Amino acid sequence: MQLKKPPTPLRLGLMAASCALLGSPAAKAQTAADGEQPLLIDAGVLYYKEDQGRVQTIEPIVRFKKDYGDEHVLGVTLAFDSLTGGSPNGAIPSRKAQTFATPSGTSLQPVSGVPQTYTTPSGQVVAALAKVTLYSVQPALLPLDPNFHDRRIAADVSWAQPVATDTHASIAGHLSNELDFDSAAFNAALSHDFNGKNTTVSAGVNGELDAVKPIGGAPVGGSDYTQLLKNGSKSKDVVGGLLGVTQVMSRRWVAQLNYTYDKSNGYLTDPYKIVSVVDGTGTETGYRFESRPDKRTRQSLYFGNKAYVGGEVLDISYRRSKDDWGIKSDTVDGRLRIDLGNDIYLEPHARWYHQGAADFYHLYLNQSDALPAYLSADPRLADFKATTFGAKFGVGFGGNTELSLRIEQYQQKPTDTTSSLAALQGLNLNPGLKTVIVQLGWRYDY
Amino acid sequence: MRLARLVGLACAAGAILTMTGCGTIGVKPWQRDLLAKKEMALDANPLDAAIDDHVYFSKEAASGGRGFGGGGCGCN
Repeated sequence: MQLKKPPTPLRLGLMAASCALLGSPAAKAQTAADGEQPLLIDAGVLYYKEDQGRVQTIEPIVRFKKDYGDEHVLGVTLAFDSLTGGSPNGAIPSRKAQTFATPSGTSLQPVSGVPQTYTTPSGQVVAALAKVTLYSVQPALLPLDPNFHDRRIAADVSWAQPVATDTHASIAGHLSNELDFDSAAFNAALSHDFNGKNTTVSAGVNGELDAVKPIGGAPVGGSDYTQLLKNGSKSKDVVGGLLGVTQVMSRRWVAQLNYTYDKSNGYLTDPYKIVSVVDGTGTETGYRFESRPDKRTRQSLYFGNKAYVGGEVLDISYRRSKDDWGIKSDTVDGRLRIDLGNDIYLEPHARWYHQGAADFYHLYLNQSDALPAYLSADPRLADFKATTFGAKFGVGFGGNTELSLRIEQYQQKPTDTTSSLAALQGLNLNPGLKTVIVQLGWRYDY
Repeated sequence: MRLARLVGLACAAGAILTMTGCGTIGVKPWQRDLLAKKEMALDANPLDAAIDDHVYFSKEAASGGRGFGGGGCGCN
């Protein structure tokens, strides 16, 4: 009888570090060194809803992992997203109603069926938008494009196997399709155990090629919003690498240190985001399409830990990242899995995140200032703090099935939300975000 | 400043090692009973991690760390 090797958290962590494909799930499928699980099915449904009628999504996701023996592991993950709701267009709230044309909606015909005109804040009547759906935003409210919707299908496949004594290799591929975005990606990694399998070093590379196909075309960066200067589709690519060390520190503690580096090239602008232009009083005089650099280099340092503390399992990590857009961030994430007995557990989760603003982030532009080379009012490039609080509740059945429910709240609090300009005083120009995340899970080990 | 930060990190690591009784780093094969538990895997819940990465990638400027930096989505 052949005895199976006990699963080692070392390998689990290592492969997770080396093979997580671009934040997508499939590459993690090869993570388990669990020769005891010939086939694992891990399925879930995510419900995500933002407050104030903003984006909501339902995402079913299923992951299969087939162990062919001797640590030859195939992973397949399939996911489907459906998104609806309002998405901030980048403009700030105003004392008066604002009218916008929707670039992200699929309807390019006027709602009423008759030609429409668009009056800019300065009073200019623009007929060029006659075939574009318009929407109005009431005074003091954050402008949201109410016609936002999208759907995404994603597939990930991975393979991992030993290639030499104490050395493993993995490869993974990713394909996804959205209404306005296609992505193909790959990664490959090698890992080596030594020091009595207490230490594992890993190294990997990844690449990604994306086609950006904005509805209505990609706007000319920095151009006047009312001129609708569009350039069709764009593309971008990403090349990166990862170095990692996983170390068993003690009988109760395993730690992981990762360094990642990647470079993006191409169209990195959000084609649906604009920036408000105001005069000396703070009154809107127009809008500009945002414009971002066509290159970005990012680095991150990640320190993850698993510790067995008093019968419970603590998962705590810290990440520091920075990029050449001037954004620096810190993330602290902690979970404590509390065993309640009878195969039931509760796992409280808390996360704290802070990022600085991009060098070219502007809440709005002053009409009297020269137009900067790069500009964006995307709240995701602003200085903000974010917190996540929640818990997961899991129940096991028969030793091979688990049902789980996770409920969390995620909240963003921007730092820069006001202006001293007369017409903008008293307005919350970047009101932040509050979301609810609910995840139902089902896991079955054959 | 950077040196002070490094010294601080080294002190913190030393304190953790001391508190956890890690006179020597690593374990013998017969001491892996706790490490072998599924929930002790660094990536014990890959589906949760994938969903979290996707959510945070769409809402924040930073991504990745556990693995390669996020992507494969037009949401950011």
